[in-house]
Amino acid sequence: MADQVYQVVSARTASDPAEGFSWRGAWHAPLTQAWLLLGPAMLIYAVFALYPMVDTFVLSFQTWNGLTPHRGFAGLDNYAFIFNDDPVFWLALRNTVIWTFLAVSIPPLIGFGLALAVNQQIPGRNAMRAIFYLPVILAPIAVATMWKWMYDPFFGLFNQLLTSAGLQGLIKDWLGDRQVALYSVFGAYVWQHVGFSMVLFLAGLQGVNQTLVEAARIDGANRYQVFQHVTLPAMSTSITIVLVLSLIQSLKAFDIVYGMTLGGPAQSTQMLALWAFTQSMQIHDFGRGSAVAVVLLLITLAIVVPYMLWRMKREEGQG
Amino acid sequence: MTTMFSTAFRPLGSDRIDPFLVVLWIALIAIALIWVAPIIFIVFTSLKTNADVMGTGAFTPPPELFTQNYPDAWQRGNFATRFANSVIITLVKVPVGLMLSAMAAYALARITLKGKKLLLLLVLFGTMIPFQVMLAPLFTLVNSMGLLNTRLGLFLPYIAFGVPYQVFVLHGFFKEVPHELSEAALMDGASHFTIFRRIFLPISLPILAALLILDFVSTWNEFAMALVLLLDSKMWTLPLSLMVFQGEFGSEYGPLNAAIVTTVLPAVIVYLIFQRYFVGGLTSGAVKG
Repeated sequence: MADQVYQVVSARTASDPAEGFSWRGAWHAPLTQAWLLLGPAMLIYAVFALYPMVDTFVLSFQTWNGLTPHRGFAGLDNYAFIFNDDPVFWLALRNTVIWTFLAVSIPPLIGFGLALAVNQQIPGRNAMRAIFYLPVILAPIAVATMWKWMYDPFFGLFNQLLTSAGLQGLIKDWLGDRQVALYSVFGAYVWQHVGFSMVLFLAGLQGVNQTLVEAARIDGANRYQVFQHVTLPAMSTSITIVLVLSLIQSLKAFDIVYGMTLGGPAQSTQMLALWAFTQSMQIHDFGRGSAVAVVLLLITLAIVVPYMLWRMKREEGQG
Repeated sequence: MTTMFSTAFRPLGSDRIDPFLVVLWIALIAIALIWVAPIIFIVFTSLKTNADVMGTGAFTPPPELFTQNYPDAWQRGNFATRFANSVIITLVKVPVGLMLSAMAAYALARITLKGKKLLLLLVLFGTMIPFQVMLAPLFTLVNSMGLLNTRLGLFLPYIAFGVPYQVFVLHGFFKEVPHELSEAALMDGASHFTIFRRIFLPISLPILAALLILDFVSTWNEFAMALVLLLDSKMWTLPLSLMVFQGEFGSEYGPLNAAIVTTVLPAVIVYLIFQRYFVGGLTSGAVKG
């Protein structure tokens, strides 16, 4: 197979007109080629992803309204403000913590259960996988709009179902009630994200040694024992990956909150990513907005860096 | 079909029906029904008149198919322009971005280069950094280049945030390609460009397809960056116009739901056709990597 491919290639390259180029030497220097291949992607990545990240840190020490050419130096004022004088920041931090905690526990747990279930010999399992994964590919803003309509206090799905079930007492203004709004938004998030965990767990389950499962069964282990002693240990890597990815995703929650509540009512669904955006782009205080962003960025880095080190080690271990 | 049913409900290596699996199956069907319920509700609403929305049950099929909601939403949301904007951005960004990522991944995987490890680390890092944190500096940057409200001004950040994951996945793939394959061609005087184009691109078609489809969906769905970088309503993409539509016509349930369906339909169609690739693209980075 490899030889065949090579023969085709060498036959083609032999007649390539580029071969006769006069600056062939330079063209063929591996370093030139490497940078020509790497350059475009790395340049765009550096300018439009890495630079803005650095600029977030810089902006957090400045006062700026985003319009005037001059950016003033503010020292630690922005941080002092968000920590001491901005009650919304603490609310946003609290909500982010609650949200993150829910987001790393509930969707992965349901996703794990579904993955175990659809991995069994049951009819229609491919159709079920497709159904559970479908919400993942919908635009978060569309999911937000859908669920906002489902939560509609008058004609929405939930209140209609409650009415027809005779449970009028449970009817709520799902997105208008400060006590429940955050959890209502989270409901939409669960619906959208369970499929993501499920698919990753399913991939992990393919790596569980079936011979080991059968051997344990023959030795008389029951279903739970097989799960506990064979499946679960083999899934530890997948579990770590899903938890970390869920955590990072949850910190990014922006579209769905923006689309459903814009952070309201009374900031009860406000979160760090959205508050950073609101401070900068709507209140036009780029300094304070960036200070909020830096807090979120540092939280993210505190999770990402150890995870990356763990992964690198694992990969090196594999060869 | 027959083989599927002859193994159904039977655990591996057993030919007896397992009652536990039957119970599990029924439970799964119930959950699956709950999972599709919102979609059925949205599609039904999109085909009802406002009077029927208020007068009939949530899961009652539309008494008569009121398709007028679709042209209505299309016109009021100015979807013709915005659909075109989304299509242009997606159709240009996705292939170009993937090509740049593939080139970079090849160089990182197959050319000896100083500082390669650092570059890889930087790329891996980028897969996990939320751009939602950087919306304001991104706005500042694009504005200072005079690219606000332009396709290029959206296109470049989209590429920047698509590169890390794609490079990461493709690097993992290219690294595993047997060395004999490229070494022989190199000895023969082929350049890395030729090897990349003639050997690596053809053999990585399945993974490229997977990444292409995954990226199609995320580009089509992207909202936050478009919100910050496109202030002119003529340039808006579909997710942005859905947000605005929701604000303006939030109580006109029929057209609103028609707008939702219109926005998600292209991604859903792509998903249903290329389902297999989806899972491949998603898991190749996360689990095997």
